[in-house]
Amino acid sequence: MFYIIGLGLGDCKDITVKGLEIIKKCDRVYLEAYTSILTCGTQALEEFYGRKLIVADRDLVEQGADDILEGAKTSDIALLVVGDPFGATTHTDLVLRAEENGIEVRVVHNASILNAVGCCGLQLYSYGETVSIPYWMDGWEPDSFYDKIASNFRNKVHTLCLLDIKVKEPTLESLVKKKKEYMPPKFMSVSEAAQQLLQIIKKRKEAQVELEINEDNLAIGLARVGSDTQKIVACSLIEMATVDLGGPLHSLIIVGPILHPLEEDYLRKFKL
Amino acid sequence: MVNFTVDEIRGMMDKKRNIRNMSVIAHVDHGKSTLTDSLVSKAGIIAGAKAGETRFTDTRKDEQERCITIKSTAISMYFELEDKDLVFITSPDQREKDGKGFLINLIDSPGHVDFSSEVTAALRVTDGALVVVDCVSGVCVQTETVLRQAIAERIKPILFMNKMDRALLELQLDSEELFQTFQRIVENVNVIIATYNDDSGPMGEVRVDPSKGSVGFGSGLHGWAFTLKQFAEMYAEKFKIDVVKLMNRLWGESFFNGKTKKWTKQKDADNKRSFCMYILDPIYKIFDAIMNYKKEEYEALIPKLGIQLKHEDKDKDGKQLLKVVMRTWLPAGEALLQMIAIHLPSPVTAQKYRMEMLYEGPHDDEAAIGIKTCDPNAPLMMYISKMVPTSDKGRFYAFGRVFSGKVATGQKARIMGPNYTPGKKEDLYEKAIQRTILMMGRYVEAIEDVPSGNICGLVGVDQFLVKTGTITTFKDAHNLKVMKFSVSPVVRVAVEPKNPADLPKLVEGLKRLAKSDPMVQCIIEESGEHIIAGAGELHLEICLKDLEDDHACIPIKKSDPVVSYRETVSEESDQMCLSKSPNKHNRLFMKAQPMPDGLAEDIDDGKVNPRDEFKARARYLGEKYDYDVTEARKIWCFGPDGTGPNILVDCTKGVQYLNEIKDSVVAGFQWATKEGVLSEENLRGVRFNIFDVTLHADAIHRGGGQIIPTTRRCLYACLLTAAPRLMEPVYQCEIQCPEVAVGGIYGVLNRRRGHVFEEMQVAGTPMFVVKAYLPVNESFGFTADLRSNTGGQAFPQCVFDHWQILPGDPLDAGTRPFAVVQETRKRKGLKEGLPDLQSYLDKL
Repeated sequence: MFYIIGLGLGDCKDITVKGLEIIKKCDRVYLEAYTSILTCGTQALEEFYGRKLIVADRDLVEQGADDILEGAKTSDIALLVVGDPFGATTHTDLVLRAEENGIEVRVVHNASILNAVGCCGLQLYSYGETVSIPYWMDGWEPDSFYDKIASNFRNKVHTLCLLDIKVKEPTLESLVKKKKEYMPPKFMSVSEAAQQLLQIIKKRKEAQVELEINEDNLAIGLARVGSDTQKIVACSLIEMATVDLGGPLHSLIIVGPILHPLEEDYLRKFKL
Repeated sequence: MVNFTVDEIRGMMDKKRNIRNMSVIAHVDHGKSTLTDSLVSKAGIIAGAKAGETRFTDTRKDEQERCITIKSTAISMYFELEDKDLVFITSPDQREKDGKGFLINLIDSPGHVDFSSEVTAALRVTDGALVVVDCVSGVCVQTETVLRQAIAERIKPILFMNKMDRALLELQLDSEELFQTFQRIVENVNVIIATYNDDSGPMGEVRVDPSKGSVGFGSGLHGWAFTLKQFAEMYAEKFKIDVVKLMNRLWGESFFNGKTKKWTKQKDADNKRSFCMYILDPIYKIFDAIMNYKKEEYEALIPKLGIQLKHEDKDKDGKQLLKVVMRTWLPAGEALLQMIAIHLPSPVTAQKYRMEMLYEGPHDDEAAIGIKTCDPNAPLMMYISKMVPTSDKGRFYAFGRVFSGKVATGQKARIMGPNYTPGKKEDLYEKAIQRTILMMGRYVEAIEDVPSGNICGLVGVDQFLVKTGTITTFKDAHNLKVMKFSVSPVVRVAVEPKNPADLPKLVEGLKRLAKSDPMVQCIIEESGEHIIAGAGELHLEICLKDLEDDHACIPIKKSDPVVSYRETVSEESDQMCLSKSPNKHNRLFMKAQPMPDGLAEDIDDGKVNPRDEFKARARYLGEKYDYDVTEARKIWCFGPDGTGPNILVDCTKGVQYLNEIKDSVVAGFQWATKEGVLSEENLRGVRFNIFDVTLHADAIHRGGGQIIPTTRRCLYACLLTAAPRLMEPVYQCEIQCPEVAVGGIYGVLNRRRGHVFEEMQVAGTPMFVVKAYLPVNESFGFTADLRSNTGGQAFPQCVFDHWQILPGDPLDAGTRPFAVVQETRKRKGLKEGLPDLQSYLDKL
């Protein structure tokens, strides 16, 4: 049996009872460690679960799926995913691959940023398409996410922006070499995300494109949702560019044009 | 230095209209270095009597021993022109009003094809070229190559017919025959010039013309030379004809009847060609009298020609006397100097039309204007064309030309390598220049500063540049264009130290070697092997010797030479190739197909290049190669290195966010074209088409990490499904030999898979020229083999010509290409066997 288990958002204790029981009986337990991280660290997890974890980086999950699935027909293997298995990151390919090989798959759900974001008071019903904001690299500065935010805005809904994290990504130079070199880990903060957005707005203003969203638009910055140190701030985009919410992980919400009175009341407590 | 000082030269450097920067170029053994001696001796650096034997510019011991120039060498010289000659310089940009002194910066370059990268480097920093042709062998393959290069760099040529002594003494040509030979050479040279230059172009007319004085005749070895101007001056008074008019009459179809005293344009019974009568006949008479020891005759003749011999020379006879007489009568230095000063352009003239060829930036920025006007007060723009080893091991002088502004000792400047792009920090250093120096053949002299239009060396820059670069003080300056070499480094050997502990020394030595030669490539393979790649066997031999003796100073083991191959395809991919990104959310659909014949060469020659305006390029591709014009407008890139002979074409329709992954696909394409699927050799002549792309909805999941490796896998699958082939480099060989040896040549060529495509007699000589194609792979030991089969009478010159498909399927065990692929893979430390299509191709 192959289990994919969501770990939730906060710390090691966010795991479900069902999940914990499965972990304890599995032969091998992998921890997917590149799409998100738990602030408590791998060691705390191992101590709490009382067993060894195998850290699975991007290469192992994407290209070494066969290694992970090996023996899953006869024994129990688990892959732990921060948040929910089918949340922000989709592990659908792994499920398909397992089923192709005749392996049974079970999924244990948990909280994901996609629902925990409700903590800021905006109704989950009035969100549009979710986008990610990638780190811009020399020469690679995609800005298509702005169009999606704008399109949500036109539809009068909010946009949740997931912010890039680089746990163990190869450097651009080493991508065209056989020997991979990795960038130091980095996590995008709400201020960095706001800065990139402001750059796009500036560029488009210069090109005289009509803009739905400008630097005064309301934005909400969230940090470490679900943990004890959770922090939420609501302010204009331009103010957001200078806000420091502390350690990772961060998310950003671009608020839509219309707020429900209750949403407004709730947001007031996060105002700068 | 005997008759000029550094201060004098520094003074001259400001008189930019009186500067001539020139290179001496020719086929190997046509006598460049020997001729250069005549000029050097005129400047007083070596004694006149030694001129012709010293080869002052051959500074290296092996150059002296082998009698061959390996490195180009620069010297600066100062001459004064007489008033009567100054009037020949008419353009105001060619002469300062008050100066009759000229500063000549001369670069003597090697003639052997293996070193033609040195010629390229020399041409870049000069404005004019003295093309030397051996009048016995005529225009040879390398004459054509260097001349073509010169014209392409907008370098104005003048011609010198060398080795007249051989024509007279060995071949015993009569005067009419000799004239015909000269005329043929002039025509041949002008044909080449006309092919590559348009008279209406920015350089104007560049043809050489004896009657204008831009063609010289003589013997470098004996130290004498003349142009028609010298003779016209001698006769002008006698005939009462203006010198310029008389020069016209002394060349070509112009005949003089001694009885009627009439000039005609046709030959008839009583008249004689004026060139033969007034120029060749006196020379023939002297040769005849002296070489046949007719003492009375020549003792009468010598004073008649106005030659005054020194007391100690009067006792000489035979060849020794001949040399002295000729050299006193027609001193080579004088004739050459006049040709150079009168016919070659000054930097002021040349930079006007060379700027657009040199500068990559906008043609109206400060740097461009500075170059165009050769303004010493503009921002500094200097091009470093090569590195010259110093006596201090491991350090180099950076040698180059100041095109604008001034370069000075202690000046802070921006040092930009070839990979610098304006606005970025890559390949850019801001450092002070330790010292500026003047290069003088065997000596260097420190100099305070050097203004625009001059050639000089810099100390302390070598650490920041690999081989070449641009030095500037202008913050927004773009690079000066990188030089394009006419030869490619197709022959390679692996080296290792005899004593493994010496490895660090070898690595350091290879770094130095790479610096000291404009073209050699030093590569470390994946397997850890150190590879040196050069233009030919001789080039490699010299490089290895330098490495062993000068750069690494350790004993070295070397492998047998091997050639580089290219990978290509011979059909269109037999299926649509799909590759999925690691996260499986992005899918690329592509196919490969061979380029039509000639397109890869067009790209090599720059006729089709990435900087073209895309609509004009598409039209050209549509007309010449039948490409669909809409598709041809969407060429994403060329590769490898952004300029190579492979293209990636976007044939998709309406794919959203395609432009966001373009850079990643291009990066993958550059990688795959640099290291092909078969044996990681460069690709050549392959067109890749992207037909469709499926992308993840979110930008983060379609970044470089996902797309670059996928592109490479997809391209590899495309190659494997398109009947891949190997290409090998082929030399064009020109072999000179007497008729009896021709048979031997055929035998040797046949054994080496070569084939002859032209065979002809050199008119007016008993020599034959055989032209053949020879695979580079078969060329090792060719020269020695040829000599032993022809009794040492045949001498080949091989120059890289083209790539040709090595017949056979490299995927089919037992064929020759298969063996080559396996050998290459083994050498590079790759997995043996064949690449597996299934690891590159994904299923839908």
